[in-house]
Amino acid sequence: MRDREMGPQQPILSRRRFLSLTAASAGAVGIAALGTPSQAEASASATLRVGWNSPPDVMNPFTFTSTASNEILWLIYDTLMTYDLELKPVPSLAASEDVNADGTVFTYHLRPEATWHDGKPVTAADVKFTYDMTAYHNLGQAAWAVAEYDSSRVINDHTVEIKYKSPQAFDPALAIAIVPQHIWGSMSLTKIEGYANPHPIGSGPFTFNTWVSGQYVQVDRYAKWWGPRPAADSIIWIQYDNSDVMVQALTSGQVDILTEVPPILFDGLTRDSGVKTVEMESFSFHHIGFNVSSNPKSGGNPLLKDVEVRRALQYSLNREQLVALCLAGRGSPGSVLLPPSFGAWQEKIPLDQQFNANPEMAKSILDAAGYKMGPNGVRQDKQGRPLSFRLIAIETTDVDVEAGQVFVKAANAIGVKLTFNTLDATTLSNTVYNAAAPNWDIFIWGWDSNVPDPDYLMGIDLTDQIANNNDVYYSNPTYDRLWVEQSTTINAAKRQEIVHEMQKMYYDGAAYCIMWYQSKLQAYNTSTWTGWTPTRGGMIYNFTRYNYLRVTPL
Amino acid sequence: MSARYLLRKTATLALTLYLTVSANFLLFHVLPGSPVQLLARSGHYTAGARAQLVKLFGLNHPLVTQYVIYLNNMIHGNLGFSYVYRVPVTTVMGSAIGNTVLLVGTATLLTIVIGVWFGVVSATRANSMPDASITVISLGLWSMPDFFTGMILIFIAGVWTHVLPVSGIETPGLVADTWGRVLDVARHLVLPALTLVLVNAAEFSLITRNSMVDALTEDYVLTARAKGLSRRAIVWHHALRNALLPITTATALYVGMILGGAIQVETVFSWPGMGLLIYSSVEQRDYPALEGCFLLFAMAVILTNFVSDIVYQMLDARVRRN
Repeated sequence: MRDREMGPQQPILSRRRFLSLTAASAGAVGIAALGTPSQAEASASATLRVGWNSPPDVMNPFTFTSTASNEILWLIYDTLMTYDLELKPVPSLAASEDVNADGTVFTYHLRPEATWHDGKPVTAADVKFTYDMTAYHNLGQAAWAVAEYDSSRVINDHTVEIKYKSPQAFDPALAIAIVPQHIWGSMSLTKIEGYANPHPIGSGPFTFNTWVSGQYVQVDRYAKWWGPRPAADSIIWIQYDNSDVMVQALTSGQVDILTEVPPILFDGLTRDSGVKTVEMESFSFHHIGFNVSSNPKSGGNPLLKDVEVRRALQYSLNREQLVALCLAGRGSPGSVLLPPSFGAWQEKIPLDQQFNANPEMAKSILDAAGYKMGPNGVRQDKQGRPLSFRLIAIETTDVDVEAGQVFVKAANAIGVKLTFNTLDATTLSNTVYNAAAPNWDIFIWGWDSNVPDPDYLMGIDLTDQIANNNDVYYSNPTYDRLWVEQSTTINAAKRQEIVHEMQKMYYDGAAYCIMWYQSKLQAYNTSTWTGWTPTRGGMIYNFTRYNYLRVTPL
Repeated sequence: MSARYLLRKTATLALTLYLTVSANFLLFHVLPGSPVQLLARSGHYTAGARAQLVKLFGLNHPLVTQYVIYLNNMIHGNLGFSYVYRVPVTTVMGSAIGNTVLLVGTATLLTIVIGVWFGVVSATRANSMPDASITVISLGLWSMPDFFTGMILIFIAGVWTHVLPVSGIETPGLVADTWGRVLDVARHLVLPALTLVLVNAAEFSLITRNSMVDALTEDYVLTARAKGLSRRAIVWHHALRNALLPITTATALYVGMILGGAIQVETVFSWPGMGLLIYSSVEQRDYPALEGCFLLFAMAVILTNFVSDIVYQMLDARVRRN
C-alpha cells in the first residue's frame, strides 16, 4: 500500500500524540535512571574484590575438589599449621607444636582464645574428631596426607597428641582444616559425603556471608579471630565467564586482583599504568607422558617401552623453544619432576646431559638401537614395525595443543610419525586412566603440586598409584622404596639427597618428558589495595593466605 | 475443538515426553566419561575415597537399575543430586531458571513487539527505501553471532564508556533496599537483553515482512479499502491477524529453544542462567544436573509446540475444520 490515506486533520495534541509523548518521556527517564551509576558501584573502602573464572563446587571441607573452594574454605577454617609468605610452616590454630625425635608423634598446643564462628571454644576434641574422620574414612583432599595415621589422644582441652605409624617428613597438619565436632559429630558418613554445608562454621579470620551461585561468594571479617586483625571488612570473589571482561574489570577498578591472568592478556596488562602484573614461579608443570604399562591388556604401542625411543623423542624437542612458542616466554624449560620453585630440592641436571634440543643425538640413538629409516620417512624396528604413535591432548588447553603441533614436527624430523588428536578433558582423563586396559600411546597434560613439599609430585608415579594418580603406569620398585624412605626421613639434608636421587632416576627412565614449568601470572590494581607480596606459587590462589590477611586499603 | 482431539493430543504429548526422558537418560550414560574419574584426578583422592564416591552416586548399580531409580525419583519430583554441588538438582536449577526466564522473557517480549512492528512497517512500504534499509539491516543483524554482537556492546557500553555494567546479574556486595536492588538487576539486564533483541528481532521482522506482504495482496484487503476503512485498521486489524500464523510458529519455536538458555549471551555477560549451567555440567559430567536441565529443555520445547498447535486451531478456522 503505497498511496497515502487522506484522513481528517490531526489536532495539536491528539490522544495518539499524547500517548506517544508520554511513552517517549517515560523511556527517557528510564534510560537516565539506568544510566546513572548506582551508589554501591563505589564499593565500601575495605571490601577486597577478587576476580576469577572458575567457580567453587561445594563448601564442605571434606568433599570439595575445586581450587576455588579451597581458597575460600582456607579463610573460613584454620589449619593447625600454615604456610607463611616464604612457604615455611608456621603455627596457626596451634600456638606451638612439639614433634618427637623420630617424627611419629606430633603434639599441638591450641590457642585458648580460639573460638568457632558460633561462639563455642575450639578444643582438642575438635582436632581429634577432624583427624579421625579424615583418616579413618578416607575423606577427600587431605586423606593422602594422613595415610600413615595411627590415632589421636586428647590430653586436655587445648592439647592434642597425634600418632603416626611411620615418621612424617611432611607435617599433615598443613593440609587439614579443623572442623567443629559439635556440628559434624552427629552426622553419619553418608550424610557428610552428601552435605553441602550451606553455612560453614569455622575458626578462621573470615565468616561465611553468602554464595550467589554462578556469581560471587562473600565472606566477612570475624571480629573474634585469634590472629592479627585483617584490614579487609569483607572479601568478595566475583566470577567471570569471559576473560576479556574480567581483565577489563581489573583495569576499571571493579575488582582489585585477579587469581589467574591468561598469558595472551598478560602482556597487554603489563602496559597498563593502573595495574601491576606479577609473574611468579609456580609449583606446576606440563608434560608429555608415554604409556609404559606392562599390563598385557594395554593397548599402548609396545615400541614405546624401549627407553631409547623415549629418550630420542625427548632429544628431538627444544624446551626453550616450547616455552617461547607456547607460553610466550612466561615459564622456564622443563626437566625433572620438581619445578625450580622447590629451590634446593630440585635436582639440577647439567644442560649437556639433558635429553633436550639435540635431534642429531636422537637420530644416532635410534640408529644404534636398530631403528632404520623405512618407507615414507618413518623408522622401523627389525621386525618392520614402524615408529608410529598416537598423540592426544586436551582441546581446550591451547598451550598443550600448540606443544603437540611442535612435537609432531620435531618427531617427524627424526623419523617418528605422530598422529595428533585432541579430546575434551574428561575423555582424555578416562582414556589415560583406563587402568584395566589403557589404550593410548602418548599424551600431553600437566600436574600441579598439592603442597609445596616434594612428597606429592614425587609420589604420583608409584606402583601403588596405578589405578589412581599414576598416569603412565610407571612401575619401579627401587623408586617406590626411595619414596617411602624420603617421606619418612626427618633430617632435611638426608631427605634432599634421596629426593635428588629419585628425580635423576625418574628422569633417566624418561616416562615423562617435562616440557615446561609455567609461571603463575597474576595482576592487581595499584590504586585500591596495597601490600601484595609476590610469593612462590602465587600471591593468592595457592598455598598461603597471608596476602589476604596483610593487604591494606589505599 | 473436540474433547477427543484434545485427549489425543495430550496422549501424544505424554508419550513424547516419556521417550525424550528415556533417551535423555541413556544418552548421558553411554557417553564415555565417569564423573568420579574426573573428580578424582583433580581432587587428589585416595582409591578408597573414590570407591566411596562411586557408591554415593549409585554408579555401581547396573544401568537398568539406575534407569528405574531415575524414573521413580522423577515422578516424585526428585531430579537427583548434583555430583558437583552436592545439593538437589532442583536447587541448582532453581536460581538458574529464574535468571534465564528473566533475561529470555524480557528479550522475547521486546523481540516480538519490535520485530513485528518493523516487519509491518517494512511490508506496508514494500520495495521502497525504508523497506530496503530495514531488510538489509535485519539481515545483517540476524547473521551476526550472538556473542559477537554482545562483545561489541560490551566494548561500547562498558569499555569505551562506562554507562552500564557488563557482567553478572547484580553488583556483588550491594547493600540497598528492594527498589535499589530491582534497579541494579535492571541495569545488568540491559546489555544481554539488547544483544538478544538485536539479533532475534531482525529475524522476526523478516518473517513478518514476508508474511504481511502476502497477506496485503489478498482480495479482502482490497475490499476493506473499498469499504473505506483507515489504513491503520486494514494493516493492523485485518492483514496482520491473518499474517500471524507463521509468526506464531516462529514464536513457539523461538521460545521453546531459548528456554534452554541463551548460552552464548550468558557466557559473554556471565549471566548465571540455564545455558551456563548446561555448559559447565557437560564439562564436569554432572549427570543429574544435565538430565534435569535437558528434561526442562525438552518439556519446554514440547509444551510450547503443543500450545502453538492449540493456538493455531483457535486462530485459523480452516485448520479447525479439518
